[in-house]
Amino acid sequence: MGKRVTRREVLKAGLGAGALALGTPAILTYGQGEQTIKIGDIDPLTGNYAAEGESQIRGAKMAMAEWNAKGGVLGRKLELVVEDNASNAGISAQKAHKLIDQDKVAMLIGSVSSASALSITQVAHQAGMIFMVTGGHTDPITGSQCHWSTFRICTTTYMLAAGLAGTLHKKFGGKWYFLTPDYAFGHTLQESYQSLLKKLGGTDLGASLSPLGTNDFSSYLIKAASTNPDVLINLTDGQDRINSLKQAAQFGLFKKFAIGGGLSELEVLQALPPEARTGWATLEWWWDQPHTPHVKEWVAAYQKAHPDGSYPSARTWFGYAAMHSVALGITRAKSLDAVKVARVLEGMELPPEVKLQPNRVYFRAADHQLMSSEFPGEAIPDGKYPNIFKVSQIIAGDDVALPATATGCTLDYPA
Amino acid sequence: MQLLFFNVFNGLLQGVFYALMALGLALILSLSSVINMAHGGFLIVGAYLAFTLTPYLGFWGALVVGPLLAGVFGLIVEQTLVRWLYKRPDPLYSLLLTFGLALIIQDLTRTIWGAQGLPAAVPEALNQPLSTTLFFITGYRMVILAITAVVTIGLYLTLRYTLVGIRIRAGTRDLETVASLGVNIYKLRALNFAAGCFFAGLAGALASGILGLTPPMGDSLLMPTFVAVIVGGVGSLAGAVLGGLLIGVAAGITTTYYPAASEAVIYLIMLVVLVIRPRGLMGKESIFE
Repeated sequence: MGKRVTRREVLKAGLGAGALALGTPAILTYGQGEQTIKIGDIDPLTGNYAAEGESQIRGAKMAMAEWNAKGGVLGRKLELVVEDNASNAGISAQKAHKLIDQDKVAMLIGSVSSASALSITQVAHQAGMIFMVTGGHTDPITGSQCHWSTFRICTTTYMLAAGLAGTLHKKFGGKWYFLTPDYAFGHTLQESYQSLLKKLGGTDLGASLSPLGTNDFSSYLIKAASTNPDVLINLTDGQDRINSLKQAAQFGLFKKFAIGGGLSELEVLQALPPEARTGWATLEWWWDQPHTPHVKEWVAAYQKAHPDGSYPSARTWFGYAAMHSVALGITRAKSLDAVKVARVLEGMELPPEVKLQPNRVYFRAADHQLMSSEFPGEAIPDGKYPNIFKVSQIIAGDDVALPATATGCTLDYPA
Repeated sequence: MQLLFFNVFNGLLQGVFYALMALGLALILSLSSVINMAHGGFLIVGAYLAFTLTPYLGFWGALVVGPLLAGVFGLIVEQTLVRWLYKRPDPLYSLLLTFGLALIIQDLTRTIWGAQGLPAAVPEALNQPLSTTLFFITGYRMVILAITAVVTIGLYLTLRYTLVGIRIRAGTRDLETVASLGVNIYKLRALNFAAGCFFAGLAGALASGILGLTPPMGDSLLMPTFVAVIVGGVGSLAGAVLGGLLIGVAAGITTTYYPAASEAVIYLIMLVVLVIRPRGLMGKESIFE
């Protein structure tokens, strides 16, 4: 019996300590004389896109550290408040409300899943707050559902498709079957590929829609193989892409037809065993750009901050560019007022030490889409990390984006 | 027609895998009445340990030692945390505890091995289809089939013919009587819990050959596992196997006609079973009725 009481006491003590730990930092934060500028970051730390989410947060923190080392923004330090959305659209909206109402953040950045990003754009727009979409690709974010308050770092699904479709058609042939994740990102990416395929004069053999977070792709792959395509256009990303490629490799499908397309990432490539690490895909940034200024230094700075042997990915760059854009916007607007900052960001070009790629990178004024490059290329099966992808060319965003007049975006600034 | 045949066959192979995952969960649930939400956690512990040990022990060595270590880890968790809750009749306590554990284990995995996926590989010989027409029958899936068969039969024989097994079976019926006959039920339950975690670890180590080895891997496998147990019948090991096979085949058939519903169909089956026969296809009348 005595034992039981002791345990209870320990528990109570533990609870007390826990409550203390929860309470203290808030008091401390408000006790500090100079208030920080809080930036809310909603990214997946769990679920299908957890690896990508972590990279985006790392990038944002790097940029924040650079600004804080120079004395912050408008004389105030930046502070990143990170919330996990598990790539769930509902949770994303909740977290956005929490950051806006409770944490009183000045701006929002983040998200990997397009569905999450779309849901946060609504909340941010209602609150009159800028949301810098770090990594949700679906077209409507800067297209039919664009807002004055939404800006986007990563490229659109159309840009992703336009950077690669021609190459796939020329190299492997025009009979395509699609493996598509069943949500906003997959749908718009597939539409883009289909419209490009039509222009190229190819044959659309159909598509399998797989729910986000699918483990077993065997049945989808059986269906795909039964159509005898020239190319299986794999539009999945993250964990789904790892699962589908691993299983396709075991089924020997890479020997039957080409598998490529869609968006790949360093995070995905490094999680694939050699036999599944093959095929053509588009990346949106690559660490190995020997002729681009500042890239080598940036990679070194990343590795100094994260001595775990990893290399920065496109996602790291997204987070980095998002935080820099926000900080640059506030600095140039000399204000935290969302409309003023938005006006400054329109047309703003990223400086060379931030853009880290050869082409001109700027926020298009008409739809708030960052015109950054596509890096299509081929995975290297027998390469050793980080040399596991060969970029074939770096295409400027301007060359693959739909013209601003064709995106369906009309910005809705408050009157 | 060929597509349907392919998908039924493929569904069976997938179902075998669900069955293997469900065995450990069913074992713990039936004797300890613990709804182990941390099952996915033990799954990734086994998978990560096996991956880490592969360079030293080879694929097969790691496949044995990794899950064994997951079992030892399960034993420690049982001895330090879970066993305090046996006295409380409400399963909510153990549910909350194991739910918390699931989050902690996943985060620890992320801290130790990183959020980025690891390239878990399968021996070259197993990593290809056995025939070009039936390309979905790979050496690796045959290995999973064989292991599941061996494990299921072994478990059946153990429960049927060994003293420990007979005590476990008796314990699932009436733990108090077993205790009053002088059997140390704490030891029995600890052993049972560890065995359940071993099976989870084994399923996890095998899963990492097909899926990406990332910290959330356990989450996505946990749901089909629970569905297999509930459909098959809580408390019945044969039911867990049957449940696994059933949802595998159902998902396969659905994919032939309406792929987008292939994930939803397993929950639909669970719904129907819960309405018509809440104890599950082969379950005993107890926990849910």
